[in-house]
Amino acid sequence: MSLEGRAVVIRQDDVDTDVLYPGAYLNVTDVAQMTQHLFEGLDPSLRDQLGGDTALVVGANFGAGSSREHVPQAMAASGIRFLVGRSFARIFYRNCINLGLPVVMSPEAVEAASPGSTISLDLEAGIVTVDGRPFRINPVPAFLRELFVAGGLVPWLRARLDRSATVVEIGGSEE
Amino acid sequence: MTVGKSLFEKIWDAHVVHEAKGEPTLLYVDLHLVHEVTSPQAFDGLRLAGRAVRRPDLTVATMDHNVPTLPGPIEDPLARAQLDALRRNCEEFDVRLYATGSGREGIVHVIGPELGLTQPGMTIVCGDSHTSTHGAFGALAFGVGTSEVEHVLAAQTLPLVKPEQTLVRFDGSLPPGLTPKDVVLGMIGQVGVAGGVGHVFEYAGEAIRGFSMEGRMTLCNMSIEAGARAGMVAPDDTTFGYLERREFAPTGGEWERALDRWRAFASDDGVRYDREIVVDVEALEPQVTWGTNPGMVAPVGGVVPDPAQYADPDDRGAVERALAYMALEPGTPIGEIRIDRVFIGSCTNARIEDLRAAAAVASGKRVAPGVTALVVPGSAAVKRLAEEEGLDRVFVAAGFEWRNAGCSMCLGMNPDVLQPGERCASTSNRNFEGRQGRLGRTHLVSPAMAAAAAIAGHFVDVRELDVEAVPA
Repeated sequence: MSLEGRAVVIRQDDVDTDVLYPGAYLNVTDVAQMTQHLFEGLDPSLRDQLGGDTALVVGANFGAGSSREHVPQAMAASGIRFLVGRSFARIFYRNCINLGLPVVMSPEAVEAASPGSTISLDLEAGIVTVDGRPFRINPVPAFLRELFVAGGLVPWLRARLDRSATVVEIGGSEE
Repeated sequence: MTVGKSLFEKIWDAHVVHEAKGEPTLLYVDLHLVHEVTSPQAFDGLRLAGRAVRRPDLTVATMDHNVPTLPGPIEDPLARAQLDALRRNCEEFDVRLYATGSGREGIVHVIGPELGLTQPGMTIVCGDSHTSTHGAFGALAFGVGTSEVEHVLAAQTLPLVKPEQTLVRFDGSLPPGLTPKDVVLGMIGQVGVAGGVGHVFEYAGEAIRGFSMEGRMTLCNMSIEAGARAGMVAPDDTTFGYLERREFAPTGGEWERALDRWRAFASDDGVRYDREIVVDVEALEPQVTWGTNPGMVAPVGGVVPDPAQYADPDDRGAVERALAYMALEPGTPIGEIRIDRVFIGSCTNARIEDLRAAAAVASGKRVAPGVTALVVPGSAAVKRLAEEEGLDRVFVAAGFEWRNAGCSMCLGMNPDVLQPGERCASTSNRNFEGRQGRLGRTHLVSPAMAAAAAIAGHFVDVRELDVEAVPA
């Protein structure tokens, strides 16, 4: 499974989910509406930089604080294809994976990236490439790749629970 | 010497459903707490897939985030829709709901323990990051997102990678006038907001043993603010004393058997923790945050830091940005920071002991002119008990507003919000930009320090105030 995107960079550390998606909009359940509040407390103009092929490049402990899944939901719906960070807060990290939004850690790749950089991600090989420069990351375990392919935790779970019905073959072909 | 097992490892091992190389462990969940904000999509998902809640008997819901704390109808249509959705979902899926007005409602992390639902040795999850609170009982408790809420509703399990373990040892005895909130803020100031990422914290030390359950809950509640997955305190007689005779605590012979089981959840000697942190409790003063995350904290006798003191350019930039947002000048004594609002409440500090501590400071005094102060009990039960003790009258006589239970001004999603530019002394857990309302400025403190700030109109060392015992 490999992905490519154009970098949008949030370099500061400890960016919390309250500034990524303020509490005033937590009652929104429509994903299209959520996208209109993404980054609102941080820098709403970042929204204008997102396209269908965005690689979001972030600092350390990104996504700290609240467990609100609105953040990765709005990110995925805004065209963010994957995240590369120095490190991630754990609940946010799990929320991304659970929605099928790949997240990888590479401080070196973050250092090398600038806004507009072309970033590609090879999950099996464990390589993230920034403007042609490859950086090694921990290979993403097969289990996580299955989750990404299934589209997240819930579709993966449904398929598991429905295994006898063979709706989706888990661990099957990728790409 | 044999390697002992920690509290965390004992709970983990007792809940493993499935283990395979290269896969996360599937862990059983004993208690799933649900509130109206992170659950509607999860219930929708179940409905779409035609599934039931697997263990409605292990699932308990309440209403907290959206609940107005003043009497009267809910004005916000989205908030009303969320509460209505929870009510419908709980009916359809046969989940116990402690709805507003039931008398047992409140902040999810306050009612779990007070109903005796939270017990030692359990695994507990909730779609809320402050689920770490329940670790105070020697449970493994952590927050999850909405996808995981759906997973647990459907399967009563979660796939998890085993976290690492940190022993946080609090050395020394608690100085007079210092509270658990000061201890946890001091710890976060020391380890930083990312200091616990990927780890479960086990709290130990003489000072922690001396904490009440309310104090241990305050401590464990803010584990997530250090980035930790969970925080835990091994259960002891204080834990058992709190639980005995609570509504869902075991009774009779069951209680005796439970005690035998629970006592075994202490960490053995010779546990190998991945890391150890030592916090010198005796060196701590009452704490006040000056910045925009809980690690940006100073003793009340200190000053607002100067960004120039920070060697690391990233740190310097973060401090500059925080001070600009907070409208604070470097070198300002903390005691000279004036406030507009006071919020005493939240899952961190809205239990009976917190309200008693605040009332002891407020008793016989008046809220400073120009300051609006709010006291919001953590649950309907806490409110009733406080009123029985006369705390409401102490607060009202001093000029505080006495409200109904709810999350209130902790998170800026219900009518209780800061106006842009307002500065608040708050007993909640997060001072992030905009957390209590757009462009609001939050300083985190203990309940006693919040009450003292309300009286003085600025931060003040509560130990130097003439604090009276609340009349019985």
